[in-house]
Amino acid sequence: MKTIPTLREKKRYLAFEVMSEKTLNRQELVKEILNSMISIYGDKGANEINPSLMSFDGKYGILRCEREKRVETRASMACINNIHGVRVSILVLGISGTIKGATEKFIQQTLINRQEPRKK
Amino acid sequence: MSLFGSKFYDFYTHPDDVGLMATEGKRYGYSGITVIGNCANEKTLFPEDFSIHRGIEIQAKPSRIREEIKKYRGCDHILIINGGEEEINRAAVETEGVDILMHPLEFNNVLAKAASDNSVSIGFNLGSLIRLKGVARVRELKTMRINLKHAQKYKLQLILTSDAHSIYDLRAPREMVAISSLFGMTEKEAVDALSVTPLNILRKKSPDYIQEGIEII
Repeated sequence: MKTIPTLREKKRYLAFEVMSEKTLNRQELVKEILNSMISIYGDKGANEINPSLMSFDGKYGILRCEREKRVETRASMACINNIHGVRVSILVLGISGTIKGATEKFIQQTLINRQEPRKK
Repeated sequence: MSLFGSKFYDFYTHPDDVGLMATEGKRYGYSGITVIGNCANEKTLFPEDFSIHRGIEIQAKPSRIREEIKKYRGCDHILIINGGEEEINRAAVETEGVDILMHPLEFNNVLAKAASDNSVSIGFNLGSLIRLKGVARVRELKTMRINLKHAQKYKLQLILTSDAHSIYDLRAPREMVAISSLFGMTEKEAVDALSVTPLNILRKKSPDYIQEGIEII
């Protein structure tokens, strides 16, 4: 059964890009993001952020978090520096209220902008 | 989110490949970086609307620091001193001409007052927060919190830097603001530390600048 709108959790979707020396898989990334959150905010803070990785294709991905915890999520994603000896940096492209918005507005836009200079 | 409309600068990087760092920096939303040490040769391609400045990091014994500062303060490079013990911090803060004192340990109210007299900015090195983990990071955060407290009391200029050695150490301005919230910096202060303070330092280094308050227009 659906929850009533006022009791529904308010969420935001972060579109991000991963730059790494080797391609990562989904499991490694999820583990590292959670580890980073727990290391900074503790178990209580990580549970309040309520993160979950919606999709990840090796370079671009979408992460769900609580609406009021956007800054915390950004901070813990920025603090990831290496995963099993592979140097990594995560760049948040933008934040949206829907998965569709995050995909169309940020990820597809980035891909289009990247291709344009090559055509010229 | 109009706070993020201004120009952003990263004032403390040690890249191996300056061209690559500049391209990435522009994509991340920066308008300029300062390179410490070996600067690029003329062949390197730089993106448009992106400025690269040269910085000098002074490393010397506490007794020699004042002479070193006097040697370099006439030139148009950005003078950075890596803070440490109290003696080094004291020499840096009390001598005119230093632009940035990076991450001082054992900072206190006397040093803060001298820094405000000589308009020395206090640098916060976020690169160490990104790289370290566990107890070491806790210690680093504690130092930063103390420094921030003194800086707020004496209204010092703050500056946030990434200390990037490669493109994987670089972080976008919004991420830098988010990390700085870990040790109690407000969003406004953090944005000013990335845009207003660097622009102030660049204005001081421009040839039109003569003295505080006197400038050729």
